[in-house]
Amino acid sequence: MSDLDYLILIVLAALVAFVPRVVPLLYFSKRQIPEWFNEWMKYIPVALFTALIAKDVFVTANYTYNSKNLTEILSTILVFIVAAKTKSMGITVVVGLVAIIAFAALF
Amino acid sequence: MKVEDKNWYKVFKIALPLCMSYVPIGLACGILLHSAGFNILFVGLLSILVFSGGAQFLIASMLVTQAPLLQVLLMLFFLEMRYALLSASLSPYLKKEPLPFLVYFSASMNDENYAINYLKFATDKKWNGHRAVMVNHFSLLFWTVSNMIGSTIGNLIHFDVNLVNFTLTALFGYMLVMQVKNLLSIIVSGLSMVLSVWLIIAMKSTMGLVVATLATSFVGFLVEHLLEGKHKPLLLRSLRLRRRHESFRHLPKETTDDHE
Repeated sequence: MSDLDYLILIVLAALVAFVPRVVPLLYFSKRQIPEWFNEWMKYIPVALFTALIAKDVFVTANYTYNSKNLTEILSTILVFIVAAKTKSMGITVVVGLVAIIAFAALF
Repeated sequence: MKVEDKNWYKVFKIALPLCMSYVPIGLACGILLHSAGFNILFVGLLSILVFSGGAQFLIASMLVTQAPLLQVLLMLFFLEMRYALLSASLSPYLKKEPLPFLVYFSASMNDENYAINYLKFATDKKWNGHRAVMVNHFSLLFWTVSNMIGSTIGNLIHFDVNLVNFTLTALFGYMLVMQVKNLLSIIVSGLSMVLSVWLIIAMKSTMGLVVATLATSFVGFLVEHLLEGKHKPLLLRSLRLRRRHESFRHLPKETTDDHE
């Protein structure tokens, strides 16, 4: 690949990343949104974060079921406990990283 | 950029844990991009313009396997569709902002800074678009610099990308716990876990994640709607897991509802 190829890829990738971010924000911010839509959007974060975690823990990079995931499951459970107890993002992330490395070394 | 002096420092402290967790992941991502042929300037440009860990990992791994450009872009598009969810769910908080600001804001929004901003918008009455965009830019700065450093140290360091990637999983774990308000949100979460894994594997793309999120959040909304009017339904009783924010004490009685 030449430098130009990389530049084209970067610009197109930026476009593909930008459009889904900006369109809903422009659309919904400037219109009267029905109340039920706002009520629905309230549940997006819970569902979305769960889905992102579930993808990391249960799905491989090739979109198959990840069966060798005891390390991830244990670490995720620990992360939930630490997050609920400490309510600190910093501590949670550090404990999570230490846990995954420790569990990976153990199993 | 001109900002009120104390304000940026306050926001920086809020964004710091996220910024720090970007360092190892950014380094790893930079190393991978370097091995896919990106030079330091391109890595910097890509990090600023795309600003998405998942997308950049995907680009690196697909280029290494010589995938055609169109295929890479199509995969990226499906991966990035979830941003539509983020920006739709932030839109009620950014109603007052002018149009150019919204364009400017969305350019630097991603999963992680969205998570912080959503939580702050929901719990901190003083949180505004200006502070939110600062969180975006702090995280963008750390992400871009880490990527560029990663691309220069190239093959000097070897570490397991999966392990490093768990930093983000832990971050989402924290965000999830902070979003848990009542029994219903736990049920929505459980449903989303099963459905998203099934759909991502069935659809062979993260579009499954988008569909699962839309469907399960809608179920949550429906159930809440059905329970409305009942006296203290068990599913909607507050679990009080949420971070007790300083400004929280001055607020009137806490309710199960975030929005005004």
